Amino acid sequence: MTMTAHASETITYAQVRPPFWRRFMDGLPRGTGLFFGYGVLFILYLPIVWLMILSISGEPLTGIPGEWTLTWYEDVIYADIAQRDGEAYGSNFRVGDPLLLSIGLAFATSAACVIGALIVGPVLPRVKRRGPLLIGFLMPLMVPGIVAGVGLFMWYRLVINVKMGVWSLALAHFVWAFPFALLAMLVVASRFDTRLMEAAEDLGASRWQRFWQIEVPILKPGIFAAGFFGFLLSFNELPFSIFMRAGQDTLPLYLWIQSGAHNTTVPLIYAMSTLVTIVSIGLTFLAIKLAFGGGKDGKQ
Amino acid sequence: MAATLTANDDVMRRLLPRLPAGVWSLSGFTVVWFGGIVIPLLAIILVSFFQGRGIRINLDPTFLQYERFFSYGGSDLLARSVRIAATITFIELMIAFPFALWLAKGCKNNMVRLLTFTALTVPFFLSPAARVIVWRSVFGINGVVNQALLATGAVDEPVTWLIFSEFAVHFGFLGAFFPTMVWPIFLSISLIDNDFLEASNDLGANRFRTLVHVIFPLALPGVVAGIVFTFIPMLGDTVVAQHMGGNNVLMLSAQVQSLIGVSNFLVAAALAAVVLGIMLAFQVLLWAALKPVGGLNEVFANLRR
Repeated sequence: MTMTAHASETITYAQVRPPFWRRFMDGLPRGTGLFFGYGVLFILYLPIVWLMILSISGEPLTGIPGEWTLTWYEDVIYADIAQRDGEAYGSNFRVGDPLLLSIGLAFATSAACVIGALIVGPVLPRVKRRGPLLIGFLMPLMVPGIVAGVGLFMWYRLVINVKMGVWSLALAHFVWAFPFALLAMLVVASRFDTRLMEAAEDLGASRWQRFWQIEVPILKPGIFAAGFFGFLLSFNELPFSIFMRAGQDTLPLYLWIQSGAHNTTVPLIYAMSTLVTIVSIGLTFLAIKLAFGGGKDGKQ
Repeated sequence: MAATLTANDDVMRRLLPRLPAGVWSLSGFTVVWFGGIVIPLLAIILVSFFQGRGIRINLDPTFLQYERFFSYGGSDLLARSVRIAATITFIELMIAFPFALWLAKGCKNNMVRLLTFTALTVPFFLSPAARVIVWRSVFGINGVVNQALLATGAVDEPVTWLIFSEFAVHFGFLGAFFPTMVWPIFLSISLIDNDFLEASNDLGANRFRTLVHVIFPLALPGVVAGIVFTFIPMLGDTVVAQHMGGNNVLMLSAQVQSLIGVSNFLVAAALAAVVLGIMLAFQVLLWAALKPVGGLNEVFANLRR
């Protein structure tokens, strides 16, 4: 309520005179800044678009688009099916198992991130001296993936001496994704008015009722964001997986290893990467919509 | 840990029973996280002072691994990695600050703003490898750029420095690490109260003085966070250096992988410890930069508004 009142005051004031901060950039040669800013964004998106164009081109290895075809997409599927049936096929490109492993890991990471963020997120903003806790939880954000991967590998493989496997991949993905999920939850949770919980308690709501009927609905944007962050970050994770895999290939790892070899599988890598990219973009849009669509009144 | 958690007793009693397992779920999670993740990451520094062969480790502290690392040309590698990452971080900052300032305070069109946000968010969730592999078909000897140059007669022979060179690595980093610099700066600038800018104007400051004396100090946490989130991941990047630099531009991650590949774990630990040292120095820098604005707690209080 207070937010709305504040916002309407600003609008009235703006009607009288365009505020200084609105005019702030007017006289600057902002064209230069924008040119470079959008220029870099262009460089960022060029390879993504180029990849998609080449994946439907007849001769992607030449780098020249044209002769539109979906043959590479068919090959991705048939190469996997053929080898599953034990038949010979043009290429030994098999994405089936890595894809299933990646999807499984992504769902597991997503669920773990939601649970972890729900445990820590709502409480952390209200703990005194939360600095050390916060730094600890967000630490993987500040350590290069490769160093964190190697650190975890050495601890579990050399110091504790356990075998790597799917569990270590799942752990690595959780370590990578959790800080982002927690940040998303913290943004929502730090606006959470705890008096609502007190009021519900006074009105006789049970512990579960308070959790399901007050906390979960209020934290919903954070829960969705945590879930999507967990899923997408795990699905595309590479640096940790390199060390924590122990013979298991996730999809990004498989594509990465395949792309290191200069051979005929390159067009199939383009096709598969395009599919993954399209799914990731779709999920990101959905996440942005779910996370921010419902919280309009919270923003100015 | 327990002392920290119970410090705010009143609020905690109100909040914690909401979860089925109450205080135990938070304490348990915290203990597991610190025991399973934070300590192992810090333990790598300890491991780097040991000696041994393969996976057998002898517990005598020694600098041997560091000596080995530096005698294998590790200092060149480290210097090159830091130099490239620092150059790109600087360029990103120069481009991202005006861009974030415009996005936060100058952009009048909500649609443009929303699209730009989305454009800055999406690449973050894309596979880094997918973005990089395609450059080879653009910049390679038979790539699009070279074919175009040859066709127009601008060059007689294919240009070889476009790929597997330092240029290519710089170029590959430039796009990939732009969002990580823009986001924190954008957030910190958009948290600046517009009344401050108005007051600065009323007191007679021109735009430049407002930028230097009002906006920049208040945006400093974002700038430092942007530098940390850009520089650190770039230093450990697995994809760009290897696919665009090839064997000509070896950076840290390739070295770590080849050391692990030949089971030279302890030298890899020394290398990782050096990187962790750089990272810790950056964290101290971040902490120092946040101090004038009241530290992490104050940043949180700002988020809550």
